[in-house]
Amino acid sequence: MQLYEVIRKKIEDKEWSVGFQIPTEQELCEDFKVSRATVRSAILELVGQGYLTRQQGKGTFVSKKVIANKLTMFTTFGELFIEAEIDVATDVLAQTIMMPVDDLADKLNISGDKHIIYIKRLRKVDNKPILIQETYIPFHICPPLLEENVQKNSLFELLEKRYGIQITGVRNYFDVTYLDADEGRLLDLSESSPALVLTQHFFSGGTQIMYMRSIKQPGRLELLIEFEKKIGDDRMNFKFSKL
Amino acid sequence: MSKSKVVKDLMIDVFEYPHVPYWFTIRQVIKIIKVSFISSKKYPEPLAILVFDEKYNLMGTIVLKDILSGLEPRFMRPTEKAQAYIQEEAELSIIWDTLFNTEAKNLAEKPVSEIMVPAKYFVEPDDSITKAAYLMIHHDLVLLPVLENKKKFVGLIRLVEIFDEISNAILKE
Repeated sequence: MQLYEVIRKKIEDKEWSVGFQIPTEQELCEDFKVSRATVRSAILELVGQGYLTRQQGKGTFVSKKVIANKLTMFTTFGELFIEAEIDVATDVLAQTIMMPVDDLADKLNISGDKHIIYIKRLRKVDNKPILIQETYIPFHICPPLLEENVQKNSLFELLEKRYGIQITGVRNYFDVTYLDADEGRLLDLSESSPALVLTQHFFSGGTQIMYMRSIKQPGRLELLIEFEKKIGDDRMNFKFSKL
Repeated sequence: MSKSKVVKDLMIDVFEYPHVPYWFTIRQVIKIIKVSFISSKKYPEPLAILVFDEKYNLMGTIVLKDILSGLEPRFMRPTEKAQAYIQEEAELSIIWDTLFNTEAKNLAEKPVSEIMVPAKYFVEPDDSITKAAYLMIHHDLVLLPVLENKKKFVGLIRLVEIFDEISNAILKE
């Protein structure tokens, strides 16, 4: 077995766990009775594949998470959120049950006779309305959500942490909409004003579990889509930050 | 009649019936009735829709007749006087027929809160069957909400189950 394979096996078998500092090049030469060039190329190869991280002046360490396949990205999705330093207030305008009317059954991929939880929230910054968020969740996915505090808690966290429903995919669509009378009143704008609309379909495994429609007032906050690629912790963030 | 049975023994799950918020239009509710009952050939007795507010408090109920009367032009609503001429009153439906395409379609955009029957009477899970029957008879109801501690909506009790319970007692004796 080549040195490269020996080291990789030690990492995969967790004999060398995350954060473990591997022996120096000199030690590896002696332990495995191979040339320094062989050691160096094996380490470089493993660093390139994300198994190891080199830290200048400190040594070589086992990376946080191993990339099994170069084409696979480990990505976690964030709920559309507003930067922590911005003071956001939330008004819960509705938290009730309805049937999927109009095209909602198609959007949630459920039959028209299934009950759904409807949550409507108005987000405010500096006491000015900024965002209307309407969320639709089939009732059978998470019945207790009907009585949860959705003013303080993020739906995303409630689903994942409290109810163990992992969100494994999000599909986002952006468009421009023209406000209806009610939306205009909530956002302090006149009817038919243009606004950004973001619609998100959330999936858990192969099942769609939530549909969210967010209407953003123009100005004040801008929407940032950020993709961070770190070994083992890639993430896609959608967030609002101050203009 | 058996003294032991109370409302909670006969009540049914609220999710047996479609739920709508009060701001839905008559048109939207018609579509829900089609999908939930008519297309699937499910005809529960009564065939009803429950109307809620934004905090999931029950506001009222709608049965098919409430929808049809909501689509009827306002001037056709019977007055005290019209009751004397029953024959002629029915003939007024010709006017409804001619106006139907324009008038009824406009009326279908009204929110259902305008046509629902407000939920004013309730029973508690431990109330007697006769109390539920009394409220239904005296207030012309076919469905009663069951509230726990006058607040939490836990179920529904229907005329058909009450009828069944009372008739069993009659037939036994």
